[in-house]
Amino acid sequence: MNIKRELPTTTLSGFALSGLLVVTILNILLQNMPKEIYSAGDALLKLNETEGVANAVTTVVVFFRGFDTLGEIAVLFIASLGIGLMLHSNTHCNIKAESNFMLQTASKLLFPIILLFGIYVMVYGHLSPGGGFQGGVIIASAILLLLISDKSFEIPHSIIITLETFAGVSYVLIGLIGLLILDTFLGNFLPHNISQMGLLLSGGIIPLIYIIVGIKVGSEMSMIVQNIIKRSDDV
Amino acid sequence: MFEFFDQPEVIKVIVSAGSMFLFSIGLFGLLSYKHIIKTFMSIAIMEISIFLLFIGLTFKRDAVAPIIDSTHMDVSIMNDPIPHAMILTAIVIGMAVLALGTSFAIEYYKLTGNINIDEMNSMRY
Repeated sequence: MNIKRELPTTTLSGFALSGLLVVTILNILLQNMPKEIYSAGDALLKLNETEGVANAVTTVVVFFRGFDTLGEIAVLFIASLGIGLMLHSNTHCNIKAESNFMLQTASKLLFPIILLFGIYVMVYGHLSPGGGFQGGVIIASAILLLLISDKSFEIPHSIIITLETFAGVSYVLIGLIGLLILDTFLGNFLPHNISQMGLLLSGGIIPLIYIIVGIKVGSEMSMIVQNIIKRSDDV
Repeated sequence: MFEFFDQPEVIKVIVSAGSMFLFSIGLFGLLSYKHIIKTFMSIAIMEISIFLLFIGLTFKRDAVAPIIDSTHMDVSIMNDPIPHAMILTAIVIGMAVLALGTSFAIEYYKLTGNINIDEMNSMRY
């Protein structure tokens, strides 16, 4: 019988390795730390006024990096597709316990409010903190509330497919119209005037694109949540 | 009392040291645990530390959020919008990777009944 405990060499070496790496990175970071970090942010903030959108982060995400956002949405779509292929089954709900009365009543009360808040965050993304990604995730959380409260609830696939296709196609179409009119992909071809900054109808195509992103993210996240909850559990 | 912590250099040192400490926690979890869900959790912690580093290094104490309205028209006192936009992208990509990896883990567990990454050698033999 071996009374003497073995030294946890794996744990100790992992601890030493991560500590060493962190000290190295920290040393590099602190030695090369400039007094003032210069970036293209100030120039972009000045350019932001030409688009007539109040929120500069929205302008960067949707306009200056609009093509990257298209790729990001494609990544999210591929993840949703992979999860759907892996876990898809509409046989039964995976949650074993019956939801109680409080949850059922409160979800009926809260669902419209959460949905409305998600749409508000989505539509006002060019004026206030928020936007398509955040609003889409809020809408998916409303769907999650319905899914955990009602076992028989299920979003029809046709609705998700329609919304997702509509959003993806209209994003590319808006970009192509900009290419035709202004010779740049995702060019801002709708009227955008600095005098209208702060109004709901301002910024040309930027709020339109963020609403499209919100629709796409919301439908994809709802599909991910539904696939994970309603997966088949027969091992 | 806390004027010392208001200096920009001190803020930058605190942010980089704290985020690297968080990174070390994630790295230690990645190296020492064999459970695959814990591996994904460690990767998520490392991601969050990088997000904190990016946001914290461009933090200016007196600056406001980069939203232009009637009371905030001066762009020179605004925070830099680029790290916020980059981290927004990174959060979405990290969420997609985490969800896809977790679904792979669920499906692998359903097929083989195994969650230990040392025994995931079905492809080798």
